[in-house]
Amino acid sequence: MLFKDQIGFIRQHMKRNRLRTAMTVLAATMGCAFLIVLASVGFGLHKTLMDELLSNQTVTEIQIHGKEDSGEPITAEEQELIRQLPGVDAVVARSYLESPSRVLLDDRLNRAQIILTDAEQEAKAELDLSAGALPSSRNEVIVGYHFAENLLTEQELIASEKGESPAGYRGDLIGETIRLEVMSSESEEPGPETWEFTIAGIAEEPAKDWRVDNLVLVDESFREEFPVFTAPEGEEVAPYFEINAYAEDLAAVEAVTESLKTEGYYVYSVTEEMTTMNLFFNVLKAGLIFVGTIAVLIASIGIFNTMTMAVTERTREIGVMKAIGAQPKLIQRLFLMESAWIGIVGTMLAVVISFAVSALVNQLIPNIVLNILAEDGAGAEGMNIIVSDIPWQLVVIASFISIGVAMVSGWRPARKATEIDVIQALRQEL
Amino acid sequence: MIAVNHLVHSFKVGKKGGERNIPVLKGVTLEVRKGEVTAILGKSGSGKSTLLHVLAGFMKPDSATVRIAGQETTGLSAAEYAEFRLEHFGFIFQNFQLMPGLTAFDNIALPLKIKGVPRGQRELNVLQLLKEVGLQEVADHYPNELSGGQQQRVSIARALITEPPIILADEPTGSLDSETEQDVLQLIRSLNENRGTTFVIITHDEEVAAIADRQYRLHDGELVKGGKRHAV
Repeated sequence: MLFKDQIGFIRQHMKRNRLRTAMTVLAATMGCAFLIVLASVGFGLHKTLMDELLSNQTVTEIQIHGKEDSGEPITAEEQELIRQLPGVDAVVARSYLESPSRVLLDDRLNRAQIILTDAEQEAKAELDLSAGALPSSRNEVIVGYHFAENLLTEQELIASEKGESPAGYRGDLIGETIRLEVMSSESEEPGPETWEFTIAGIAEEPAKDWRVDNLVLVDESFREEFPVFTAPEGEEVAPYFEINAYAEDLAAVEAVTESLKTEGYYVYSVTEEMTTMNLFFNVLKAGLIFVGTIAVLIASIGIFNTMTMAVTERTREIGVMKAIGAQPKLIQRLFLMESAWIGIVGTMLAVVISFAVSALVNQLIPNIVLNILAEDGAGAEGMNIIVSDIPWQLVVIASFISIGVAMVSGWRPARKATEIDVIQALRQEL
Repeated sequence: MIAVNHLVHSFKVGKKGGERNIPVLKGVTLEVRKGEVTAILGKSGSGKSTLLHVLAGFMKPDSATVRIAGQETTGLSAAEYAEFRLEHFGFIFQNFQLMPGLTAFDNIALPLKIKGVPRGQRELNVLQLLKEVGLQEVADHYPNELSGGQQQRVSIARALITEPPIILADEPTGSLDSETEQDVLQLIRSLNENRGTTFVIITHDEEVAAIADRQYRLHDGELVKGGKRHAV
């Protein structure tokens, strides 16, 4: 029998039992939709936390906090060795300018933290900027995102000390020339030396709302020129603000992290948290899919009943078909196709419904949660909560389970149809 | 065309453990010649339907040698026999056995569908046959919208649509009034003469058997009389 005719045959049979077929499809739809929506909560929460994790830092960044069995800071030679590890794009070592300093622009002042860094490595690490460009000469600097609002006039400074929030500098900082005054460690008064820098770029807004980025990134080569800072007795000065390695891409992060660990470095990268989180959420998702599958199995009882009834009702017709030459395999295929059709249509409807439910849930629940959090005083503004997420993998898994279960539940009735005795079937009353 | 040699078959009756064997066919030997109408005549319980079921492959006999169109059929599997039926047999049943959800046209086309004949060719064949059996007017009618005679004509057309060499007819006029019976018998006769199709008719009715070229009479599972008749 041609495939087109097989489809026509099934359609004709289902048309005769529209209501029963529709109810069975509905049961299959509900089972599959339940599975998808339930599992989508796991996927949604996973996505929410992953997005939150990834938005807080550069994903290719690997923070290096020191080396095992050594209190010594990481040397320039060691940084160079790290730089040569496979998968490493750049190693950025930022260090503090320990001496007290201040930055002046016309009549405005900012007690910004001066950071000495290698501009070339920053460029390789693709430092994100909100405006301007990376420095092209050693006299150009990058300022933090909050640099402008901390660049205050004398009046604003007084207002700020009173607890007010002055507006700070409103103009465009790019191309402006700032004066950097570095003081000696003994006195708060400006030292004799002043350096002038041009602002080339402004760093991107920190992902964490509470973080204030009031840094000025100055080229490492100025360290020699700035006055030497002598730490007060008993205090230690951390030589580096931070040392970060940057992997070529997210895929390389794990390998580089592992290499650094093997080399004995204390490291932290996003993959450290991701591994634990992924494990937890994968177990959670598998559990939710398992629970959802129970609903599909319950729906499959409906399919089994429908198909068993279909076979019983059509015993005489099956007998006639066998009598006139239909192969048992054809009979079996026709019934299996019918149960598969129920599974396929049920799954398709379930996918559509699940996306609609998912969209509705994502509209309603985050608002409710954020309102409750706001009432409780827990600030969660700006947090993007995804309650339900349906990736294509979930659609594939759910479809596979749903259609598979539908076919398995139709298999026994289909087998029964092939075993029908022609003589008995032909004796059945019309 | 068909050669049956020493066909023996019995049914088991009674509860499990205490079953009894009731012999139905006790060594039947007969021959059906190509292009002839052969009638197997017998009363109810004589074993004639069992004989037809064995020929059609609906049941396996206890023992026999059955050769149909040159092929030994008793050793065929269910799937092989299905294939064999599709190629060699057409069936006419007493109660027509039409599909209630299909029109007369679609009922006739069913064996072609099973055979995998494309739609265009199917339509051509069915229309031609509808004309031949005089059913053009009711092609789109469902079985419950047809008279008994029309239903049996549809059933005959369905049996003929694949142009099988043999038609097995089980009480083909059993559900018809005497006037319609004559129409159907005439149709069978003319189809036999025009197409050369071999007919095997199972009947209890002497009048039906009268159209046959050859008659076999079964009594209690044994052939009591058989042979060539004069042409009707």
